[in-house]
Order: sequence, then C-alpha cells, then structure tokens
Amino acid sequence: MKDKPKLGSVFLETRGIHKRFGGVHALRGVSITIRCGEIYHLLGENGCGKSTLIKIISGAQPPDEGCLVIDGNSYQALTPIESLALGVETVYQDLSLIPNLTVAENVALSEQLVRASGRLAKVLDRAALRETSRRALSAVNLAVTDDFLDTVVSNLPLAVRQLIAIARAIATKARLVIMDEPTTSLTRMEVENLVRVVNELRKDGVAVLFVTHKLDECYAIGGQVIIFRDGQCVAQDDIQALSKIDLSRLMTGKHLDGGRYRKAQPAEQVLLDVRKLGCESYFSDVTFQLKVGEILGITGLMDSGRNELAMTLAGVIAASGGTMTLGGEQVVMESPADAIRYRIGYVPEDRLGEGLFLDKPIRDNIISAILDRLLGAFGMLDRAKSTTLANDIVSQLQIATPGVDLPVQSLSGGNQQRVLIGRWLTIAPRLLVLHGPTVGVDVGSKDTIYRSIQDLAQQGLGVIIISDDLPEILQNCDRVLVMRRGKIRADVLPEIVAEDQLYQAMIADETKECQ
Amino acid sequence: MSCANSLSVDGGGEFTFRSRVKKRLDNRPELFTLFLIVALSVFVGSVNRDFLQVSTFFDLARSSTVIGLFALGVFVILAAGGIDLSFTAIAALSMYSVTKLVVSYFPEAPMLLVFLAAASGGALLGLINGLLVHGLKAPSMIVTIGTQYLFRGFLLSFVGTVWVLSLPDKMEAFGKIALFSFVSKQGTHAMLPAFVLILVFASLLTWWILNRTLIGKAIFAIGGSLPIAERLGYNVRAVHIFIFTYTGALAGIAGMIHVCSNRLANPFDLVGSEIDVIAAVVLGGARITGGTGTVPGTLLGVVLVVLINNVLIMAGVPSTWQRVIVGAFILLAGALFLLRRKR
Repeated sequence: MKDKPKLGSVFLETRGIHKRFGGVHALRGVSITIRCGEIYHLLGENGCGKSTLIKIISGAQPPDEGCLVIDGNSYQALTPIESLALGVETVYQDLSLIPNLTVAENVALSEQLVRASGRLAKVLDRAALRETSRRALSAVNLAVTDDFLDTVVSNLPLAVRQLIAIARAIATKARLVIMDEPTTSLTRMEVENLVRVVNELRKDGVAVLFVTHKLDECYAIGGQVIIFRDGQCVAQDDIQALSKIDLSRLMTGKHLDGGRYRKAQPAEQVLLDVRKLGCESYFSDVTFQLKVGEILGITGLMDSGRNELAMTLAGVIAASGGTMTLGGEQVVMESPADAIRYRIGYVPEDRLGEGLFLDKPIRDNIISAILDRLLGAFGMLDRAKSTTLANDIVSQLQIATPGVDLPVQSLSGGNQQRVLIGRWLTIAPRLLVLHGPTVGVDVGSKDTIYRSIQDLAQQGLGVIIISDDLPEILQNCDRVLVMRRGKIRADVLPEIVAEDQLYQAMIADETKECQ
Repeated sequence: MSCANSLSVDGGGEFTFRSRVKKRLDNRPELFTLFLIVALSVFVGSVNRDFLQVSTFFDLARSSTVIGLFALGVFVILAAGGIDLSFTAIAALSMYSVTKLVVSYFPEAPMLLVFLAAASGGALLGLINGLLVHGLKAPSMIVTIGTQYLFRGFLLSFVGTVWVLSLPDKMEAFGKIALFSFVSKQGTHAMLPAFVLILVFASLLTWWILNRTLIGKAIFAIGGSLPIAERLGYNVRAVHIFIFTYTGALAGIAGMIHVCSNRLANPFDLVGSEIDVIAAVVLGGARITGGTGTVPGTLLGVVLVVLINNVLIMAGVPSTWQRVIVGAFILLAGALFLLRRKR
C-alpha cells in the first residue's frame, strides 16, 4: 500500500467507454473522473447504463471500446481480482457477502486472495486474517470480539452486514468504494450510521461512489453528482448547485415537479373497517377506517410492525386478534388465496422474491391470479383470452414492452412493478395493499406508478400504501398513520405535515433512548 | 454510548443464553449425530454385552474405511454446493483396472505404486467430471449420473466382468497388516487393519485443505453463493476441477482398499452404495444445498451409518430394519436442522 493518497488527486478515469449488448447500446462513450477523498452519487433512471459502468469498473465485464485509467496506468479491461488489487471495491445491492462464512472471513479473505493474486493453492494466514478483520471492523464501529468474528453473516441483520461489506473494503485497502443502492432497506438511523462511516473513509482519501435513487439522501450526504441518461453522462457537478427539479430533469429529460399527486377526494362510504387488529407480538390494537377511493399511507421504522401489518392486511400472515370488515362483509383470511377471494390485491415489498415469476412471460405474470377464470375447452388455458387481457392491462398501465411474451425480467424495475399491480387489476380488486411500491424504482417510473395509483383510487378502489419513503407517502395519500412499537401512534394529514415532522413521529421513542 | 454502538450490539444477534444454545447447535450440528451414536451404542450395548468390546471397535473401524474415504470426497463436493453420484463407479473402474493390470503385467508391484495408480486413475476420472461440470455449466447431479453410467459401462464392456480371485501376494498381504491384533476370550481373532491409517491421514489432509488453505475457503464460498464468489474473484473453474479430481483420487484409493480388504476384485461391487455415503455425509451435518459441514461431522455420520449397518444385528434387530432406521434418522436429522434454521 502506498502512502495516504492525496485528497483531490485523480484516482480513476473512464475514457470514452462503449458497451453493447446485442442491439442495445448500453454505454455511449462515457468519460468520468473519480478523485481521492470525494463522494459521488451516480444517478439515472433504470436502464441508463449505471450498472453496466459499475460492472466494467469492477471487472465483471469488459468494455467494447475505451479504457480505464487508474493511478495513471491505462487498462483495456480488468478482471475482478485485478480491479480489487487496484483498490476498487464494489458493494452490490446483495452486499456480495458469502452467507455461510464468518464475519472475519468475509471481511478479510478478499485481502488474502488479492495478495495471492487469485491463486488458490495457498495456506491461509490465519493470524493476519483475524488481525485484518479486527482492524477493519473497528474502523466501522463494529464489535471485534472473537464471538462476533466467528458469527456466520447470514445470522446478522442487514445494517450490520452492510457495515461488514464496508469493512471488507477497508481490509482490502480500497481506494474507491462503490455502493449500489446501499440504503434501500435501511432505517434512517442505520443510514446515518452508514454515512458517518463513509465520511470517515473519505477523510482517509478513499473515494466513495453511491448508486442510488434517493435524492434526499444525496443532498444530506453531499458531494458530486454524476447523472446518466441513455448510456451517456449528461452532467457531473456539485450536488448543492443543482435543485431536485434539475436532477429529475437531467435524469428523465422531462420536467417533473415533485408536488402532490393527490388531487381527488375520497367518497364518504366506508370500504374497510379494521378494529383492534393484532398479530402476535408484532402489532396490536390497530383500528382505522378506509373510505371508498381513499389512499391511506402507513409508515414507521423497519421494526415498528408496519411490514407485518401490511402482510396481515393482505392475508399473507394470519391475524391473531381483532376484526376486518370489507364492504360490510367480515373478512377472515388464512392465506393469500383467501385474500384473492375477498378481492384484496397485495404488492409485496420484495417484488423479485415474492411477487413475480421473473423468467415467465409478462402475460403469465398478469393472469396468474385468475387462472380459473381463463379456462377454455377441456380445462386448458384459453391462450387468446389471456393475451387479450394481458394486452389490456399493459396498455392501461402504460407498461413499456414490445410484447407480453417477453419474460418479466427483461423489463426495468418500474415496469416490473406495474406488471405486479396489473396482476391485481385482473381480480377487479376492492382493496389494494401496496408495500413499498417504488423500492428501487427510478424517478421517471415513480411518476408513472403514482399516476396509476391515483387513477385506481379514482375508480373507487381503496388503496393502502405502506412505505418508509416519506415524500412518496406525503405526495400520494389522503391520510397517514404512523406506527411505532407495534401501535398506531399518530394519524396525520399530509397536506399540513412536513417530512421532518413525520420522521420525528416515527422515531419519537428512539431518539430519547439514544441520548 | 452512541447509536452506532447500540446498533452493532443488538445487530450482533442478541447474545442471550437461548441464542447461544441455538448458535452452538447451528455451528455444530454434528453434536446431534454424536448424540445418536451414543444413544444407539447404549441401546445395543444394553441388549447385547458382546457389543462393548475392543473387537467390535476394530470391526467398525475396518468397515468405516472405504465408506469414510468416499464420504470425505462427497463432503468436499457438497461443501462447494455440488454433488457426486459417480464416485463409486470411479472406484470400481480404477480398482478393477489397476488390479487386472497388476495381476497381468506387474505382480511384484510395490503397494505404494498400486495405490498411486488407483489414485491417479480415480483423479483422472474425477477430472473429467470437473471439466464437464464447469464446461457444460450443468448441475453436477446430472453430469455425475451420466458419468456413473459411462464409467461403469466402460468397466463392464471393455475391462471385464470376471472376478479376480487370486490377488498378487503383496495386495493379499496388505489387507492383513495389523496395527493391533489379539485373540479374545471367546477365542476369536480380532485385528485392527493398518489401512485404517489411510482414512486417518485422508481425514487430516481434507480437514487441513478445507480449514487452512485458500482453496478450502473458496470451496465453502462457492458453496455459499457461486455468483457472489465469482464476483469476488474466486476462481470457480479451479475449484470445480480440484474438488472432483480430489474426490476421484480418494475414490480410487478407497476402491483399492476394498479389493485388498475383501481379497478379491469384483467389478460389480461398490456401485449402488452411493446413497449410504451421501446419507452419512448429510447425517454428519452437511447441508445438501452446500456451504456447510465439517470433517469431524462427516466422520461421525460415517460411524453412525456403519454402526446401523453392522451392529444393530447384535441387538436382534433384523437386517431389513437397518434401512428403515437410516431413513428415520435422516428424516429426524433433516427435520431438526430445518426447525433449527426457522426458529
């Protein structure tokens, strides 16, 4: 390892990088400069080429044209090991931690692998392994006890795993840490801790590149923004010089104002009446009413019970107390199949894992909740009918795809989410429970999704949005319930409450404890 | 204390008593295997006093050697997230071919050379597995079902189907070398064969590779998540080739011990016992989905299966019941490990 890098000196440059996948020109001559000790936010809509650039820098894919310059040396392409050895550590969304290995191994094995230049026929240096991991873990404020070092990482919560991934970067003496949507599933407090650690890194001359959709966080963290659109870098500037509206405009090429989407008024008639609903130790005494055409927001910290409430409302987990009445009819649900019978649609938070059949065609995903209604002769699926239905949904929700035969995984995140919403439209839902409807979705697609949600409410559906994306809740809902420690603690009107007040309501007890 | 620290502490997984116990079982599922072995021994020992004597232990050690060598190989592959169903065919092909070669051309061959030949033959066949698995990007189960038929078919069509009954002197003698031997009170001759040491050595070697070398960690890393390991720069090809070659070599040696111990080479032997071996490895705590398990656990699993197959009969349990009991234990262990993970 060389001396501490000089702050502000150039660490990495990409020069005129092109990358094509079949007919898709994913990167069109990208040139960016990364300096030591700077924080960068790489912004852009899904499919704009961000991930491709990351993969090229981290050695997962070679560029078709152009080159990388690291520390003044030019490279045509890198292998993952070379990239690591040069000081580029990439923390993908899944954190790239090996689930069955221990904390110490996850933190420090990469460093040994780099030292052996990737050759595996080497005896482990166990003393160095523990020493390196202790040093790196203490740099991110994690425990360095033997017990913790020997814990298998799959047993640890996400926020801790995130810090372990950063510790690995410290262990390999990374000069550039790339983090792909690091805060997507973290609570605010965990994000703050992450930012604190990142700032420490920055002081040591490490460059940090965030790939993110959360604009508010970019402003809070500060630094440079690099904005991509259609495979090109359209701007690189100090974030404070650009307003949120500027950012959205640069990313989408369209003008989005970020104001309230909610314009309509709900009807007077009560659709859903929830009384004293409870589920084991997760939440209790949840009572609220939802009117026809109303959009209700529910928010809270990760462990506030909001996630379990969402799943209970959708029949994914059974309630252990209380009642739900939908349109005057008492609702008793043991499984998601019951929810479909009551015409309750549920878009889960983890759409990839729980919602979609990724490798199956868009059509099959859309019709999967109503297969029994599409049966034709001899109990076979009526293909023509299915295709017509799927096409209707695709045009209604403006899903951008050349055809319904393509697999869902060929779509961008925003379009995938709309396929999932579309599936529930087929059951003519009365109630739609949307759990984190725009997690990992870019600004442009968020806009379309919000418009779809508003349209649905207009048609008389009841919509419940469970989310920790506060601007989303405030822009879309008629009313917001704030959960804390398994109970509803506040019922606020988004028109008169500001984002930070809402946040204060979410963390009220926690702040007291921390001081 | 700042929020950062409280975060890491409650994040560190509530170090309470209950979680400690759970963690202990999580990290050491082989404790359950050990418990089954002890329970079984106590049961058989209380029914039949003859069980508790040195010669029983010698018999167990003898019977464990071949299946133990197989199990070590299977465990290494399982740890990397693969599976091998061809190892018995590899063993049969290399043991029978090498025996035939030695008998026909070099009856004076020293044992070291004989084992070297069997190990190299096995390694070569394992290498074919490794190259196929990596090259075809196919599930190792499919590949090794294919190569099992291939290797066995090759053996029976081209090498021979006739038992080799008279082994060269050195091979005969090798099976009879004793570490200890004595005549028991009942007048039976009991001996601990020296080839047990090969299992001891192979276990130590396997343990060392898995726990003390970079490739060992790479094996577990790939078993944990192949795409992530690849992204982190682990050489997946090298690992695939290594594990199958290593397992092939162990299978070759196991086959040769089988010949020397039984004093005949039967080309129809061994194939068919894969499930016993895989059962032993799984009972030893390795998950079939890869990434977990230990060498001591694997050996305990072997002991358990051998115990069931060999000594239940001493307690008056009919031999047809052995399979029922192995099956029940596997289900029991499977259910326990699954519950453990869900809690």
